[in-house]
Amino acid sequence: MLQIRAARKVFYKGQPDEKVALNGLDLTLANGDFAVVIGSNGAGKSSMLNAISGALRLDSGSIVINGDDITARPVHKRAAHIARVFQDPMLGTAASMTVAENMLLAELRGRRRSLRHGLNAKRLADYRERLSILGLGLEDRLDTRVELLSGGQRQSLSLIMAVGGSPDLLLLDEHTAALDPRTADIVMNATVRAVEALKLTTLMVTHNMQHAVDFGNRVIMLDAGRIRLEIGGEDKANVTVADLIGHFATKTDRMMLAS
Amino acid sequence: MDFLQITLSSFVSLIPVTLAQSLILGFVVAGIMIPFRMLSFPDLTSEGAFPLGGCVCGVALAAGFSPLAAIGMALVTGFIAGCSTAFIHLRFRIHTLLAGILVMTMLYSVNLRIMGRSNLSVFGSETIFDWVPFAQPGFPIAKIIAVGIISIAIFALLNFFFTTEKGTAVRAVGANPVMAEAQGINVWAATIGGIGLAGSFSALSGALMVQSQGFADVNMGLGILINGLAALMIGEAIVGKDKVWRQLLAPFAGAIVYYQLVSLCLAAGMPPPDLKLATGAFVLLMLALPSLRGGRQAAAAKESFRE
Repeated sequence: MLQIRAARKVFYKGQPDEKVALNGLDLTLANGDFAVVIGSNGAGKSSMLNAISGALRLDSGSIVINGDDITARPVHKRAAHIARVFQDPMLGTAASMTVAENMLLAELRGRRRSLRHGLNAKRLADYRERLSILGLGLEDRLDTRVELLSGGQRQSLSLIMAVGGSPDLLLLDEHTAALDPRTADIVMNATVRAVEALKLTTLMVTHNMQHAVDFGNRVIMLDAGRIRLEIGGEDKANVTVADLIGHFATKTDRMMLAS
Repeated sequence: MDFLQITLSSFVSLIPVTLAQSLILGFVVAGIMIPFRMLSFPDLTSEGAFPLGGCVCGVALAAGFSPLAAIGMALVTGFIAGCSTAFIHLRFRIHTLLAGILVMTMLYSVNLRIMGRSNLSVFGSETIFDWVPFAQPGFPIAKIIAVGIISIAIFALLNFFFTTEKGTAVRAVGANPVMAEAQGINVWAATIGGIGLAGSFSALSGALMVQSQGFADVNMGLGILINGLAALMIGEAIVGKDKVWRQLLAPFAGAIVYYQLVSLCLAAGMPPPDLKLATGAFVLLMLALPSLRGGRQAAAAKESFRE
């Protein structure tokens, strides 16, 4: 369960180009919620994700995961709760290390690392099995350095790494945006299967309205650093792409009036 | 014919001495490799940590400490020097190269302060080479055996560590710091610890050198970094770097081959003052090779480092 309370973050405070990234943002996700976050550029989507992951420190407000207040913790100390798939396939994996070593790093996410040999036979067998679910042949390339994989394969690997160990919260940061349509479908399908099978609490940022319609049980639209619209339950099941784009349009009109 | 014969005979007669020296310098090459290759942190501390280890060891020997205790003190000071460079980079966001230059420059004064003068003779003090059985102390064979054993032990330890769960995490920090942090790895601890370890290897090299040559000198580190880089590149060309054990073996193998090559050049009559120019040109050539091979179009940067 994720609770964000009155989160506020201002960039360049007191300077002419001051920018309010998060403006008293409140958000609660129940366990097992799959929320899709939409909003135009600069609405605060990335700031929200970075604030949750710890890459961005809040000016005020709090973030609590499963009753554990993580507001003041650095990124590496939040890793026990949070797994993240980045938009850039390069960011989520260690390129010069092998597929198996990357899987090992993910398995030990937020855990104590011992002075025992890392890649033992039991682990390798486990990684082979988990990677075979993707159907990309990665299970036979455990000793391949990740830099030799395609962007789609790397992103699929990132996803398997992130969902392993059932994190309390899964953050997906436009994780299919940099992929070609076919690969994006493969990664998206694998995402949905994993989220449903493991009942992961998930926050997915996307610019793809079809994804927002098709996936998740809640849609959250951000605007100017706070939640402008929330659709859940029955309404979410019936929402269409046109509805969502309509909300963008009203916002644009209002912005034109304001300027 | 005469020239070849003289060159060859003087080269061959120097092989044992050169081998002993190159084994000692293998540690400083390891101290250069770990930051560069394992942590993507181009670190210049070794240029100051090598004489630091030498000076500390020299003063400790002169004060009557056992050679092992003297090496221990050198290890500790080298570790602190490496940690300082890493801390300056992390805390003040100063470029890794500049952080290294700062520490290396400040260490020159520190080294002078430690010794109280620019050089110190420890000739006649007991050294670890005196403990080698069945070998006459002071002869290259004793040094080769003693340092060879230490080299093998350190290689085995490093090879063990870097394949453990902790060691894999340290390598991840070098491969992708953002990803490492997201996986719960403490980037600060891994970087400071890793660069500190490298500093203590450089200091170990300096300490052994002082015990081998019988004196310490503040200028003994001059150019050691570029020599070490050249040795590392030769080692990587010979044993490769695509597996952890190969990458770890490269500095030791490279040091042995590189210093024999230097010895061959000197035996062939190359004036010693030209040595640094030749070494620098060699390192430049090795670094430029990928872009030369790619023709005139700009080759993609082969190395990516933290800044």
